[in-house]
Amino acid sequence: MELERLVVIWCPLLQQEGGRGEEARRFVQVLARAGEICPWVHPIRLGVCALPARGPARFFGGEEMVVRHLVEAVEEDASVGVADGLFAAILAARSQLIVPAGEVAQFLAPWSVATLARPELAVTLQRLGVTTLGQFAALPAPHVSDRFGADAAACHRLCRGESGELAGVRDRAIDRRLRVARGEDPDQGSEPPPFQPGFFGGASAAETRAALSFARVQERLGVDAVLVGRLRGGRDPSEQAALVPWGSPEAEGPGTGGAPWPGRLPPPSPTRVLGVPQRAEMVDATGRAVVVSGRGLLESEVDRLSVEGGPWQPVVAWAGPWPVTERWWSVRRRRARLQVVMADGTARLLYNERTQWWVEALYD
Amino acid sequence: MPLNRDFRRLSRDDGLSVVYEHMFAFPTEIPTEKPVEKSAPLRSRELPVGLADRVRPTTPTAGRLLPVPAPLVPLFPDGALRRGTTTTVAGEPGHGATTLALALLAAVSQAGSWCAAVGLPDPGVVAAAELGIDLRRVVFVPHPGRGWAEAAGDLLPGVDVVLVRPPGRARGTVARHLAARARDRQAALVVLVERGSDWPQGGDLALTVGDVEWQGIGQGHGHLQRRRAEVRVSGRRSAGRDAECTLWLPADSGVVAAAKTAKGEDGSVGAGPDNGPKAA
Repeated sequence: MELERLVVIWCPLLQQEGGRGEEARRFVQVLARAGEICPWVHPIRLGVCALPARGPARFFGGEEMVVRHLVEAVEEDASVGVADGLFAAILAARSQLIVPAGEVAQFLAPWSVATLARPELAVTLQRLGVTTLGQFAALPAPHVSDRFGADAAACHRLCRGESGELAGVRDRAIDRRLRVARGEDPDQGSEPPPFQPGFFGGASAAETRAALSFARVQERLGVDAVLVGRLRGGRDPSEQAALVPWGSPEAEGPGTGGAPWPGRLPPPSPTRVLGVPQRAEMVDATGRAVVVSGRGLLESEVDRLSVEGGPWQPVVAWAGPWPVTERWWSVRRRRARLQVVMADGTARLLYNERTQWWVEALYD
Repeated sequence: MPLNRDFRRLSRDDGLSVVYEHMFAFPTEIPTEKPVEKSAPLRSRELPVGLADRVRPTTPTAGRLLPVPAPLVPLFPDGALRRGTTTTVAGEPGHGATTLALALLAAVSQAGSWCAAVGLPDPGVVAAAELGIDLRRVVFVPHPGRGWAEAAGDLLPGVDVVLVRPPGRARGTVARHLAARARDRQAALVVLVERGSDWPQGGDLALTVGDVEWQGIGQGHGHLQRRRAEVRVSGRRSAGRDAECTLWLPADSGVVAAAKTAKGEDGSVGAGPDNGPKAA
């Protein structure tokens, strides 16, 4: 799963609460000022807050500009950083860096194993001669989970850049503490349970039970294992919706689904949207590759399909192609989409880009 | 045999669900009064091993049923998913078993219950929404790896329906354990498999997607519009009523619907866009 890109604001002076609650009050102001620039600023713990990077970066014209605006706005001694996933983004903020997308594992590699805030694991690893997160990541995953247990396995996935967050990074009581700082009644308001800030308001017994069971799965498989679906605008099945970690800031923003997107396929939508498209070959009855012409038409009739070098399967019906030119303002992307029905009754959604066919989704 | 069948249909049509329940929930001579009329809720593990699998409480069913979308009601002996039971949904990959399994979460999530889907590798979120699933009530655990059974076991006490897709044939002990946990926690377990036999114990109810046919798409025209599917019901709790029905899986708008047309008519590939029913 692709990790969500996050901006983290880290205020080192506000991390420890003094006796008079001054720090919490100033942190509330930081949240408010950052919130004037970007929506969905989410407190993580005292002195640390996070917000999704993608939208603001598009609006301000780059992540550097977002960082500059935020640093100016907060009027507090703050460092800002951007990276994939919450854990790396907090480290990035501490070193005031923007870590390029997809390079989170390389970024984490030189940090000490003590960064994981798992003292026992860190001591054991150091005794074994494993001192950095990079060395830890290089250990084979099955051995890590067999020898050190599920929590270490979660740390291991994090170090490999496969998950973005560790249990224990978020302060579960932060919303309550901030309500106190705002002078509100801490037990009032829509923020429900201590372990799930701001989740759908209201915390019935069923809600609490559900949240506990999700937390148990997260402990077992990692924070990124439990996802919720959100609708958003887009044409591709993969763009129209996203799966985001349960309880993350992105999961709580309003979805933007429902807005009309000219060019999207009519329902029914595919029930399985492949995370990684499968390379496919498609030929006509004479065995020549089926290509999409410059005018967006198929140059020959589809006869059979082979997915990832597999056996040829006869195609009995097809529809399309529906050409779409998207993102003409940046990297021009021209795709043509095609639905096919195979002789065995299965249906697939394919797209063609630069003369290569890809299976994008299955109608299971 | 024909006599029996007639009687069964009669008892259902009259809505005598309590009578029906008594008749078929206790295939052997178990005195109904003894274990079930205790006031405290009975847990299966308090009963002798041999009995635990066979008893079914006869308390009023209303609180123990979870709604399913109207077109799927005829598939279920109770007209709904029953808490504590295991339902298997089987079908060849690509034949719509995923659609049917997801559809079972639609009405439950709309009613405000939490649902979870474990091991569906790349769930189509848009399709789920089109099926009527309330996305705010469903969590996905798409890649549980070897921990799929443990994840499902963790979720059963927390949510009302757990949909799980084992990576292959499940081991007998694992299947028994999960079914027992569902019964114990009064959650409904829905298992998505390729063949019914991939779930060693067999479900209380087994839904199997048979022949399917896409409509609305031709040789270079139209688009995938609806899929007609034959769904067969069997299993312990089907009360010997191996029924079969035809569904749109899904219909035009992405929801499931009952296919009114009789088997065999209409519905060649490439049928015109106006031949099908209007989706509800």
